[in-house]
Amino acid sequence: MAEIRKIVGIEGQAGHPSLCVLPEIEKEDELFEIIWTLREEGKLTFEQIVQNCALAECENILKDLAKNGWLDVKGQSVELLPKGEKRARELVRRHRLSLRMFYDLFALDGAEAEACKFEHILSPEVTDSVCTLLGHPPNSPDGKPIPRGECCTMFRQEMKPLVAPLADLTPGEQAKIVFITPGSHSRLDRLSAMGVVPGSIVKLHQKRPSYVIQLGETMIAVDKDITKEIFVKKV
Amino acid sequence: MREHGTAKHINRHGDLYKVLLIGNPNVGKSALFGLLTGTYVTVSNYPGTTVEVTYGNAVLNKARTLVIDTPGVNSLVPMSEDEKVTRDMLLSDRADVVVQVADTKNLRRGLLITLQLAEMAVPFILDLNMDDEARSRGIIIDQELLAEHLGVEVVKTVAIRRSGIDKLLRGIQHPRPSPVLVRYDDTIEGGIRDISALLPEANIARRAIALMVLSGDESLKGWLHANLQDHVVADIEKIRQATQSKFNNSLGYLINQRRMKKADEILGQVLSLHEAGKGSALAFHLGKWSMHPVYGLPILLAVLYLVYQFVGVLGAGDAVGFLEKTVFGEYLNPWMTKIVHFLVPVPFLQELLIGDYGLFTMAITYAIAIVLPIVGFFFIAFSILEDSGYLPRLAVMVNKIFKVMGLNGKAVLPMILGLGCDTMATLTTRILETKKERILVTLLLALGVPCSAQLGVILGLVAGISGLATGIWVFTLLSMMLLVGYLAAKVIPGEPSDFVLELPPIRVPQLTNILIKTLARVQWYLKEAVPLFLLGTFILFIGHKVGALAYIQKITDPIVVNFLGLPSRAAEAFVIGFLRRDYGAAGLFMLSKEGLLDPIQIVVSLTVMTLFVPCIANFFMMVKERGMKTALSMAAFIFPFAFGVGGALNWLLRTFKVSL
Repeated sequence: MAEIRKIVGIEGQAGHPSLCVLPEIEKEDELFEIIWTLREEGKLTFEQIVQNCALAECENILKDLAKNGWLDVKGQSVELLPKGEKRARELVRRHRLSLRMFYDLFALDGAEAEACKFEHILSPEVTDSVCTLLGHPPNSPDGKPIPRGECCTMFRQEMKPLVAPLADLTPGEQAKIVFITPGSHSRLDRLSAMGVVPGSIVKLHQKRPSYVIQLGETMIAVDKDITKEIFVKKV
Repeated sequence: MREHGTAKHINRHGDLYKVLLIGNPNVGKSALFGLLTGTYVTVSNYPGTTVEVTYGNAVLNKARTLVIDTPGVNSLVPMSEDEKVTRDMLLSDRADVVVQVADTKNLRRGLLITLQLAEMAVPFILDLNMDDEARSRGIIIDQELLAEHLGVEVVKTVAIRRSGIDKLLRGIQHPRPSPVLVRYDDTIEGGIRDISALLPEANIARRAIALMVLSGDESLKGWLHANLQDHVVADIEKIRQATQSKFNNSLGYLINQRRMKKADEILGQVLSLHEAGKGSALAFHLGKWSMHPVYGLPILLAVLYLVYQFVGVLGAGDAVGFLEKTVFGEYLNPWMTKIVHFLVPVPFLQELLIGDYGLFTMAITYAIAIVLPIVGFFFIAFSILEDSGYLPRLAVMVNKIFKVMGLNGKAVLPMILGLGCDTMATLTTRILETKKERILVTLLLALGVPCSAQLGVILGLVAGISGLATGIWVFTLLSMMLLVGYLAAKVIPGEPSDFVLELPPIRVPQLTNILIKTLARVQWYLKEAVPLFLLGTFILFIGHKVGALAYIQKITDPIVVNFLGLPSRAAEAFVIGFLRRDYGAAGLFMLSKEGLLDPIQIVVSLTVMTLFVPCIANFFMMVKERGMKTALSMAAFIFPFAFGVGGALNWLLRTFKVSL
């Protein structure tokens, strides 16, 4: 992986929102991302990869990757080999984490273009730091799952996250809602009608026997699961 | 789904001036309704007290007016059956003025509805209610500035103190649509434009309907199909899906988020915060302790103990003793006997009125001397609890247990209301979000929740034996409900819903509301129960005369005597228990007074009686809310189950020689 990270100072241009048009080795990265995403959607075939890839030399790169042991191509079937799997996973993780950071935390327009640049230059340590800072978010803003890293499963967190699930606050603490990753649409609709939207100040009242949160003068009792999906920044 | 009127139905109530009350749950709409119309509708301190539309007549500003109270809503895109009722009122029934009632201290959420009313382009005014509570918390709203921002009349009231009503009455003479407009994302605005072009003329602006459609409002489907051809409805759905596909979050959420932002903008300009008064500190802490993981339980036990002392000891003991022994036993019944003997010389009629199964000596005595004082005391205690805001906090305590039964803490509200009256509580299941939950709660209410009348009689009965007897009865009921709930949750299809419940502030109950509410309920009890008591007694009397009672006792002896180990005459109590459980329980009460029941027999018979379907009225309500098939299957399960549990309990207590 080291050789990939040497490349710095790339001019990222955002074409198609999910495409990162970049020279040489990034073209490979690009393909790994497409393969990962297609596999998530359950439509990973050789043809689909070519269709989703904006690069002219797509097929050739795929063949090279296969030759070098990154992946296995048999007719339409494409499979990531262990080292390819690892590379794709880390790439997607960096991309989606960057997206979350730019989109939610910095509320930046053009988060996608920035994320494209970042995914190639983040080192594993920095990636885990970003992940911790954001409170190990499960999804990217477009709702796709962020592959978990070691930091997400580590028992002790050495770095205090800037953004954390509401469930992790100590009762009595106040925080501002940064983003919500809801389990269902109707859940989000209901909560938003009660004022639970990004930007609202929320206070965690108690955790046992049930979670109770307070927004302004409104007290709401909720399931624990819901408070895990509301990500907040302490104020 | 086609029952909802179209624009053509608008003048259903003639040329009365129509005032529609709308607002978030628990903001005081019903209190205001009572003030405007002089008609009492139940006012309590928890969201979801009103689940149906209530109409009342009044003369306001010298005009004959129809005032309409509606269930509270958090959004005009409904999430449950009661919320749908309110939205449909706006959609199908044109009011001359909509009065949006908002809780001043929670204006942010009120404004979310204000903005939706603005989108609907209906003429309305905004009433900032509970202004006193907001002030005591240091929240001051600049009413003139708010009116300026919204472009509609804004008035302040404290409904329960009748303050500000004159201003409200002046305000409703000048309703206006609000010019405030929330701009959405361009893609959503495009969707609104495309859908609006396909919508029919309606009482509310097309833009508002288009926004409901985009928010994914399933409950609007019926109205769309009633007013549009199927292919147009399909086209609308396509536009919605195309718009939704451009976003990862639900459109409903994005739309609400945008409205919330607008509400915050307005609020930022009209709200000022000052130092809060000290008044609410104790109430605040009581509220906190009542759902504390450690203090919560002792508080619950203390509440139960007080209710028991008040209802079981004072009501069922002293008050019943006085009424039954002294008033009826020494005065009324002997007088009636004399009068009847004097006026009615026919022995048959004499027996019908004052015999063992006499309409006066049995039905009226049971209803007035035994059940009435008990329910009266219970209604007082219950009203105090309702108005204090304690009940929703119980939901916080029991949420986890309710999850076992496929429900969540929110279901505790209808279940507790069942202790007042199972029939009313069955209606209240409308506040629950999924069909599965509504069926489960209906079943559990019918099965195991004793209503006030019955509970009182039972408390009076078991209080006479021992704490252990009471414990066994309570434990059997709770464990059976848990078991049946657990199993039914497995069998009944559907998903449980999220636990999201708003907790009202703890308040000091208002004496006038307690009294009016208790009186209204006692009146209702008399109207509801006494005719059934008379009917039940009449059936028993006829049965006794033609020998059918003896016959029923003979055929039920294998069950009642052998299986349940009860005296043969207990069958009578069960027969009338089919009509009303409390009447049946009162029958057991009398049997026990005559010394015909030993402690085990009392516990067994009470358990069976409690597990019965509460009363005929409750059964009809089950049919109305859940449908004939569901209601019948529930009854078909409940009656054999009740006897089965009673038999098992009898066997257990006798085999292990439990002394009570």
